[in-house]
Amino acid sequence: MYILGIGCYYHDASATLLKDGVIVAAAEEERFTRKKHDTSFPINAINYCLKSQNIAINDIDYVGFYEKPFLKFERLLSQHLELFPLSFKTFLSSTPSWINQKLRVVKTIRKKLGYKKGILFVEHHLAHAASSLFASPFKKAAILTVDGVGEWTTTAYGVGKDNNIHLAKEIKFPHSLGLLYSTITAYLGFSVNNSEYKVMGLSAYGDMNKDTNPYYKRLRKVIDVKEDGSYRFDMSYFVYHYKGRMPSKKLCKLLEGPVRKSDSEVTRRHENIAAALQIIFEEVMTKILNNVYKATKCENIVIAGGCGLNSVYNGKILRNSPFKNIWIQPNSSDGGASMGAALYVYYAILGHNRKYILKDAYLGPKFSFKEIKSFLEKNHIRYSEFRDERELMKKTARLIYDNNVVGWFQEGMEWGPRALGARSILSNPCNLKMKEILNLKVKHREKFRPFAPVVCEDDALKYFDCDIPVPEPTDFMLMVYPIRKEWQNKIPAVTHVDGSGRLQTIRKHQNPLYYSLIKEFGKLSGIPILINTSFNIRGEPIVCTPYDAYKCMMGTGIDCLIMDKFLIKRDDNQQDMWDSEKYAKD
Amino acid sequence: MKKLKQFFRGFRKGMGYFGHNIAIIINTILLSLVYFLGVGLTSIFAKLSGKHFLETKLGKKSTYWSDLNLKKKPMEEYYRQF
Repeated sequence: MYILGIGCYYHDASATLLKDGVIVAAAEEERFTRKKHDTSFPINAINYCLKSQNIAINDIDYVGFYEKPFLKFERLLSQHLELFPLSFKTFLSSTPSWINQKLRVVKTIRKKLGYKKGILFVEHHLAHAASSLFASPFKKAAILTVDGVGEWTTTAYGVGKDNNIHLAKEIKFPHSLGLLYSTITAYLGFSVNNSEYKVMGLSAYGDMNKDTNPYYKRLRKVIDVKEDGSYRFDMSYFVYHYKGRMPSKKLCKLLEGPVRKSDSEVTRRHENIAAALQIIFEEVMTKILNNVYKATKCENIVIAGGCGLNSVYNGKILRNSPFKNIWIQPNSSDGGASMGAALYVYYAILGHNRKYILKDAYLGPKFSFKEIKSFLEKNHIRYSEFRDERELMKKTARLIYDNNVVGWFQEGMEWGPRALGARSILSNPCNLKMKEILNLKVKHREKFRPFAPVVCEDDALKYFDCDIPVPEPTDFMLMVYPIRKEWQNKIPAVTHVDGSGRLQTIRKHQNPLYYSLIKEFGKLSGIPILINTSFNIRGEPIVCTPYDAYKCMMGTGIDCLIMDKFLIKRDDNQQDMWDSEKYAKD
Repeated sequence: MKKLKQFFRGFRKGMGYFGHNIAIIINTILLSLVYFLGVGLTSIFAKLSGKHFLETKLGKKSTYWSDLNLKKKPMEEYYRQF
């Protein structure tokens, strides 16, 4: 039995294919259209899913959609009714897309795909909850979903057992922890629904002590939090419920300045505001989690929704709450809700016995040795071929050890926003200057942003002060932990200003070649850790195809590219060089 | 012949552009009418009768959690978009 999950029209459109309850393919539309956070109907992602199993659209038994569009439209109408006449501009700009597109999901699916069978609509937070519980190793778990907004819900909790999910309580729009984070992201001059992770990174530079942070008390005025973690905003600080922007003038006054222009300097004030936000986020989440534990009495917690990507807080959950085990899926934000819709249809609605655990995130397009060779030959690209995997490992480890920046293209493309060793740029974390080199050659990104380390799971506790046993979400780069003091100056390129690292752990069965490469690098450097950053041009999605990877290398300063068993050097292909920085966006 | 083709190509492009702008103008007029007559009047009457569509005020409640009670429903419910 095949189930197709679809999510689109808000941000990060995606598709997921289930075969007899097992996820066999999943991808976000942005990777195919090369438009970051693409919202459009995920026709390319769907086509990939079908092609991966060699099936036609009507071989699909059910399609699951990740929200109830009419309920969402009802919420939008309620906003306009409540805020008349302030919402006039938003009404004019948003209504046509609802009439022409967002309320015609069934028609679009029938017309664009030619699909004739059943289409099921799953509530947004239920899709989030299912994406986490039904892919987790837990039969029973407490569930917390926190995002910007679904239909009406912004935060919900409940419990999941076997095939059943029961979301008991909710916080409704316009009060939303996710939208608070987005509002401050906008205030700090970064793009909403894209750069929240930058604010999270920036917070480490600010004063994380709430008694001395000058903005903590000010920002605390915007939110009323009860002991049970429930919260409500003073909406006079926000305008997102009726305008196209987020912070109000009153919020600007509270934070002692106007919205930062994106090209202006990040000052100490901005760092402290980011830190104040992170402190408040953590305070509220801790109260919510303690309340969820009290209500559910489960030792396992699964988290979903965009706020589940706050890896700085995720790394503190097991220490700050009574929960013993945690699971978060690699694509916990809206991009992952198509997976939730498909899983909910199969396990909850159709009631099949649970048998699936998501072990790795390599669910996207994969390219064979033959396909890559044919691409290289056809485009007259100069390359060499490794004799075997042993030679590939040894030579690549040596290249990284010699401070080369290496593009790494193996396995199926990752599901979710993080590069996890299938579409990664790898380099040497022991070199003090590597952060600068990477920024100069490839990333050109803000100086405050850290680079992430990848370590084999069996070595993680030696270098990082992780929870024991190392939680599985760490495999998806979803937890930040302190780097042990004695190692911090030995891996300076991945040590953030507060001594932490957003590590990825890798287990041998997930990606044996990647695992062995890290071990091999350890033999040369004495430290089996690599820098792992996403394989993309600034402002573009992570690469998907061999063409994207080659184009990215030739437009940046990546020294060489390892695709399957092929080594392609930038210097050997000077005819294809170009400057990606001219075209880079945020 | 080539010039004629070029002319018609330009003509079609121009007409497309013109049509697009006309659509924007008509949409704006129609949506403005809907907004002020439909949304506006409903909103005014609702406010006069004390009805609120969003809870925007801080309250003196002991909790802001509200009941959701979302769980498995009969299959036919999932065919609905609401």
